[in-house]
Amino acid sequence: MAERSESRALSLDPRTKMAVMLTLSVFLLGGASPEPVVQHGMALIVLVLMLSQRNWRRVVAYALAYLLACVTLFALVPVLDGAPYFFALMFGGIAARLVPSAFAAAYLTSTTRVSEFCAAMRRVHVTDKIVIPLSVMFRMFPTIADERRSISAAMRMRGVALGGGRPSRIVEYRLVPLLVCTARIGEELSAAALTRGLGGEAKRTNVCQIGFGAFDAAVLLMCATPYVLTAAELLGALK
Amino acid sequence: MIVFDNVTLTYKGAASPVLKGISLTIPDGQAVLVCGASGAGKTTLTRLINGLATHFDQATVQGSVAVDGSDVLIAPLCQTGRVVGNVFQNPRSQFFCVDVESEVAFGCENMGMPADEVRRRVERTARQMALGDIMGKSIFGLSGGQKQRVACASVDAMGSRVFVLDEPSSNFDPPTIGMLRQVIERWRQMGRSVVVAEHRLAWLRDVCDRVVVVDGGRIAWDGPMDDFVALGDGFRIAHGLRPLSPDALDGGERPCPPPTAGSDALELRNFRYSYGHACPALDVPYLSLPARRVVAVIGENGAGKSTFSACLCGLMRRFGGEVLLGGERLRSRQLLKRCYLVMQDVNHQLFCESVEEEVRLGMDPSREADVSRILGELGLRGLEERHPLSLSGGQRQRVAIASALLAGKDILVFDEPTSGQDLRNMLATARLIRSLEDRASVFVVTHDRDFVQACCSHVMRMERGAVRETYAIDAAGRRRLDAFFGTCWK
Repeated sequence: MAERSESRALSLDPRTKMAVMLTLSVFLLGGASPEPVVQHGMALIVLVLMLSQRNWRRVVAYALAYLLACVTLFALVPVLDGAPYFFALMFGGIAARLVPSAFAAAYLTSTTRVSEFCAAMRRVHVTDKIVIPLSVMFRMFPTIADERRSISAAMRMRGVALGGGRPSRIVEYRLVPLLVCTARIGEELSAAALTRGLGGEAKRTNVCQIGFGAFDAAVLLMCATPYVLTAAELLGALK
Repeated sequence: MIVFDNVTLTYKGAASPVLKGISLTIPDGQAVLVCGASGAGKTTLTRLINGLATHFDQATVQGSVAVDGSDVLIAPLCQTGRVVGNVFQNPRSQFFCVDVESEVAFGCENMGMPADEVRRRVERTARQMALGDIMGKSIFGLSGGQKQRVACASVDAMGSRVFVLDEPSSNFDPPTIGMLRQVIERWRQMGRSVVVAEHRLAWLRDVCDRVVVVDGGRIAWDGPMDDFVALGDGFRIAHGLRPLSPDALDGGERPCPPPTAGSDALELRNFRYSYGHACPALDVPYLSLPARRVVAVIGENGAGKSTFSACLCGLMRRFGGEVLLGGERLRSRQLLKRCYLVMQDVNHQLFCESVEEEVRLGMDPSREADVSRILGELGLRGLEERHPLSLSGGQRQRVAIASALLAGKDILVFDEPTSGQDLRNMLATARLIRSLEDRASVFVVTHDRDFVQACCSHVMRMERGAVRETYAIDAAGRRRLDAFFGTCWK
C-alpha cells in the first residue's frame, strides 16, 4: 500500500475512503439508482479524490477513460444498430461503471498505509482476529509478486515458460516453487513477529494519527447525497 | 544478563540432542560471538535466548535459561520479546509492515506503549541510526542492506535489554557490515548484552569481547577475543570455522593468461541497461574477460551486479547488448539459452518431482549419455528418485547446476552461493565451482571475501553500474581485494 500520506489537509481518514468505496458499490456497480446524474456524481467524487492526490498523470488517464465510456454510451449507442450497437452498449455500460471504481480502488491502496487502515478498523471496533490477518495479507501480496518474478525468470532460463512441451505442467511448475517459498517466508515472518510481541495480551497501540477533517466532511457529504435523493424519491413514490 | 544452566536440547523427532550440557553466563555490556560449523548448534543457542526453541520449534529442553532473571523456557514469547531483541539472517522475512515507519513502531505498539512514547522512540531511533532518508518509504523498495538496517532499528526502538543476532551479515556488502558493527558497538556501550551467531568472523574481531566456539552441541572453547585471535587459523579450521585471514584459504596460484580477444576471451559489448531513472543501472560499453574461468563480481549493494547478471542471462527484455564467446555472437535471445543463473534461493528454480526428472527438464535429448556422468560428478548419484525439495541446501544447489550443465549452458552465474555457509560447505562449493572451470565461464556474484579467495581466478569490481576494475587474483590482486573488503572492518 501507500508509501507516505499526502499533505494532511487533503488526506482522508481511511473510514471516509471506505465510505466512498461502499457508496460506489451501491450506486455505480450495484445500480441502486438508474439516474445518469447519480452516476456522473459518483464519477465526480472519484475525480475530486484523484485531484486531491495531485497525481496529474492519473487524473488525465481517469478523465480520458471516463469520457471515452460516456461518448460511447451517449453519442455512439443512439446512432448504431445491430451487433455494433450491442458491443457499444456493453462496452460503454461496463466501462462507465468500472472505470470510477477501479480508480477509486487505486486511490485507496496508494494513499492508505496498512497501519492507518488497521487503526481505522480498530476505531470501528473490528477485532484483532480480523485486523491482523488482513495486515498480513497486505504484507504478503508484494512478497508473492517478488517470488513470482524470480520463478518466471528461472522458468525462462530453463525454456519451460510454456510448460516445456507439456502445457499441463505450466501451472504446476509455477505453483510448486511459489508455495514452497512463500510458506517458508511465512514461517520466518511469524517467528520474527512473535518475538516482537505480536499476539501478546497487551492492548496494541497504533501511532497513526487518523481523524476526520474538513475534506472528509465534504467528501462524506457528497457521498450522502445519492442516498438522500434515492430515499426522497422512494418516499415520494410511496405517497 | 543471560544464564544457561546445564542445558540439553532435543528437537522433535530427532534421535540425539543438538545441544548437550551447555552452561554459560553472559553479563550485561558484553558482546559475545558464537561460532561453529553448520549444525553445531549456534542458531539453536540463539533460539533458546529468544524463546523460539521451546515455543515455536517445540524442542524438548532440560536445564534452564534465564534472561534478566526471567525463565525464557516458560515465559510466553510476548513477554520474552520485551527483553530480547532479534535480528535474523533473511531481511526479506523479518519485517511485518509494508512501510519503514510502521515497522520501526511495530514492536513498541505490540507492547502497548502509549502512542506518544512510541513516536518519541521511533524518532530517536531514526535519528541515531540515520534512517531519515528512508523513513517514509515502502520496505519492498529498499535494498537488502537497508532492510537489515530497518530490522536493527525496529528492535532498537523497543529498548531491549539483550540483543540476539543470528547470522546478520550473511547476505551483505561491506558498508552494511560496517553499519552492523556500529549498531552492535552502540548496544554494547549502552550496557546491553549482545549475542551474535556468525560464520564470517573477521568483521566481529574488534566488536565482540568474548568468543564461544560450539562444536557438536558442546562448548568447545570459551574465552576473550584476544585469546581467540592468538589461537591461530589451524585451531579455527579444525573446528570448522572460517579463518580470520582469508589467506589461509588460498585456492593456490593458478596460471591465468591475461584476458585477450579471440577464442579464449569472453567479450561483453554494449552492456547497458536503465530502469528509466536518470542514471543507468548498468553501463559497460566493452569488457573482455578470459573465457572458462571463475570471475568474482564484487561491489556494493546497488552497484549493478544483479542487473548485470540478469542482462547476461538474457532476462531483460529491453537489453540490446551482446556477448562474444569464442567468436560466436550471442544476443539476448541466445543468452537466455546459453546462460543460467543459479539463484540465491535455489528453491525458485526446482520444479519437478524427482531429481532425475528435474535434470532432464529442458535437456537436449542428444545429451542422454551425459546424465549419469554429470550426476556422478556432482555427487548426486543415488538421489535420482528423491524429491529435490527433500534434499539439503547444498544438494539442491548441485541439482540446479546439473540441470544447467545438461541443458547445454556454458555461461553460469551464481548469486551469493555461499551466504550462510560454514567453512566446510563453503570450501565444498568452491571446489565444485572450480571444477566447472574448463567447461563453462562462471561468474560469481558475492560479498564473501573468503569465498573469492578460495574459488575465483579473476575479479570484476562494479561501482555505480560501471566496471571499475578487473584483475587476476595474484599477490597484487589480493591486496586490491583486501582494500575493497577491508573498508568494513576499519
